[in-house]
Amino acid sequence: MKAAIARRSFAPFFLVAAFAMSAWTGPAAAQKSGGSITVGQELDIPGFDPLKVGVFDTSAETAAAAIFDTLTTLDDKGEPVPKLAQSWSHSDDFKTWTFKLRPGVKFHDGTPFNAQAVKDNFDRQKDPANKCRCAFYIAGINDVQAPDELTLVYNLKDPSANLPAILSIPSSNNAIQSPTAWKTKGDDYNRNPVGTGPYILKSWTAGDRMVLEKNPDYWNKGHPYLDRIVLKPLPDAQSRFASLQSGEADIVWDDEYDADNIQRAMKDPKLTVHTYKGSGAAVYAFNTKVAPFDDVRVRQALVMAINRKKMSQAITNGLARPASNPYGDGSWVKCKDDGALPEDPAKATALLKDYGKPVEFKMLVTATPRGRTVGQVLQQFWKQVGANMEIEQVDQATIPPRAFMRQFQLTPWRIIDLADPDPQMYANFHTGSPVALANYSNPELDHLLEHARTTADVAARTEDYCAVSRLINKEAIWFWTFQNTYYAISTSKLKGVPKMFSGVIDVSNTWLE
Amino acid sequence: MTPMVGFLARRLFYLLPVLIAVSLLTFLIASLLPGDLAYTILGDQATPENVAALRHDMGLDEPIWWRYLGWLGHVLEGDLGRSFRTGQTVLQAVAERLPVSFELMLFAQIIALAVGVPLAIVCAARSGGPFDRFMTGTAFGMLSVPAFLSAILLIYLFAVELHWLPATGYIPFTEDPIGNLRFFVLPSLTLGLAEWPGIMRVLRSDMIAALQEDYITLAKAKGLKPSRILFVHALKPSSLTLITITGINIGRLMGGTVIVETIFALPGIGRLLVGAIGTRDLIILQGVVLCIACGYVLMNFVVDMLYAVIDPRIRHGHA
Repeated sequence: MKAAIARRSFAPFFLVAAFAMSAWTGPAAAQKSGGSITVGQELDIPGFDPLKVGVFDTSAETAAAAIFDTLTTLDDKGEPVPKLAQSWSHSDDFKTWTFKLRPGVKFHDGTPFNAQAVKDNFDRQKDPANKCRCAFYIAGINDVQAPDELTLVYNLKDPSANLPAILSIPSSNNAIQSPTAWKTKGDDYNRNPVGTGPYILKSWTAGDRMVLEKNPDYWNKGHPYLDRIVLKPLPDAQSRFASLQSGEADIVWDDEYDADNIQRAMKDPKLTVHTYKGSGAAVYAFNTKVAPFDDVRVRQALVMAINRKKMSQAITNGLARPASNPYGDGSWVKCKDDGALPEDPAKATALLKDYGKPVEFKMLVTATPRGRTVGQVLQQFWKQVGANMEIEQVDQATIPPRAFMRQFQLTPWRIIDLADPDPQMYANFHTGSPVALANYSNPELDHLLEHARTTADVAARTEDYCAVSRLINKEAIWFWTFQNTYYAISTSKLKGVPKMFSGVIDVSNTWLE
Repeated sequence: MTPMVGFLARRLFYLLPVLIAVSLLTFLIASLLPGDLAYTILGDQATPENVAALRHDMGLDEPIWWRYLGWLGHVLEGDLGRSFRTGQTVLQAVAERLPVSFELMLFAQIIALAVGVPLAIVCAARSGGPFDRFMTGTAFGMLSVPAFLSAILLIYLFAVELHWLPATGYIPFTEDPIGNLRFFVLPSLTLGLAEWPGIMRVLRSDMIAALQEDYITLAKAKGLKPSRILFVHALKPSSLTLITITGINIGRLMGGTVIVETIFALPGIGRLLVGAIGTRDLIILQGVVLCIACGYVLMNFVVDMLYAVIDPRIRHGHA
């Protein structure tokens, strides 16, 4: 699940100029133009109009990365580099960001791309009258100004040192769409998107295939390489993998719950497994306002009862990487001591005995095979230390509203891969935030989160976030099971697949060997 | 008024309450599902005020019977509503997807009949013989193989190992007829394989019973050719059963399309339904369920009509 997060952030940052264009120079000798690929995705894409679909899922973001451009993109190290913006600078307090835009870019329908177009995109999403679900993620941006044709100014509510990195994800907030197109096409725009990207939507059969063709006038000369990209929803994991093996698909989305196929593909010389070890984790929140989780001993006991290695073995053949903090190995936050509680069933049993009352509770679980498996494994761990968990199956769409209304005792959640921990950590743990699911308030925790977002120094911020982790682990208000690992499997002929930042398979700059 | 027209009129009249019941049930099921449409649409924006406002806009705060009548009124005008996620109308979505499911069901039915009927005749002719016993056993085994298993096995054999047929995908018949048929081989085989045993078993026992009737003995005594006895005297009276099973099968096939279309990535009604459930697109959901239910009711109506055509006793009302 995508956790509710504000897509804004900050970290040590400095002015990036156009020289950081290494990822965007012309084709090297090895890169071949021409050809066509088929991408097998997990989900049907409902559309691209933010007002209709709210947020893009990762399947939609794969398409968005080809049809649209974003202001920035990430290089292999995860640093933001220019795309539609050529350079940027910030005010001393990181609250005002100024972007210089690329001149001479046009949308597929001929509309000129300029600062006003970006502002129109932003204003449309921000307008309360439009009631866009997407507005939640830009709540931290007060407004966007277009002082001249190619200058764009973001005015933020809170400081954000990592804004350019955050703007790189091809999400519904960041993909720049043609204002002329949505104004003229109305209801039909959703399925007839127009961007500035390297590919143009040619045809789209609902539930079947989306055909994208090379944009001959793309601003980045020499790009893209492939003539055509076909995106297909292949919802069944087994037949999706079979389609790759039989050649109907050239690259497919996958996840660690399909461990058998991933491990088979790793041994197959005709296939390449693309793995991205992102930041963030699969997480769970206790509601600390309701019994039995109003008692820290119960929370600690349940966390200590979990054997993550065994759990990984049981549900993902050992592929899933245990998590001891919310950041993960993929984050720049590296802690010497993250304060993780030990795995100690004996201590857990003792803590529950000490608590004295019987521990019985319900846990929300998504009504999917993977949701059920995870629920059942946790149930067994907890049973062994004397706690009775009842699984409450609900569909995925039900979890966010139940979480926001605090109608749960224990709920699954997710911290997604993002360039900076601030947006999600602040939202998940600062007193008063709608996503502070644990209903837990601690001035020390609030102070650490505030200090981390208003500091530019990496070492100081790392220390803040490690202290945050220690505090949360000790109080056991949330716990983490596995770090985020994103998977795609392709034929080994497909080259140039970049890292799957935020879990998005971006094929817009790939080529066939 | 000829008996046939009278029969038709009577049957159509009976259809009315059934269709009303279908619409009511469809609406109730969609409305009584846990969760709130307003929460689904608003997602992270679902503050209590926003939810209340949207519920009011959508009429969700009205009593359920009033909403049902309003919805029914729109349905009768041909307006089944519009998906809040894609902006497509239900009719558009169904019209796009229906040909795919229809083709799938047609081929599956043909395969099931092409396999089931000849086998039933051969087994009935030599009932109790080694072939009969072998086929009855096989049919029993095939009945127990779920579609999701046979689908994966077929994909593995014909697509991954032999590379004869595509594993997944679809192309419209109008664009590439041969390609279209290639894409349909495995899915229709999957569905057909699950359906033929039922046809074969029922038809077989029906024919065995028919073969023991006095008129068959008479026909034999008259010296008619065994093949003529088998095909004309035994098969024809059993064809009523065949039509009944074929009609019922269509309902089962509709259910089967949900799984088969998901595995083979065919853009049909079944996938539309699964997608609508997954995204809580209740408007599409209730529209599609209504269309399927009406289709099934009409199909049974056609089956009833066919009875009357084949067996005059039925249309005269003394069966």
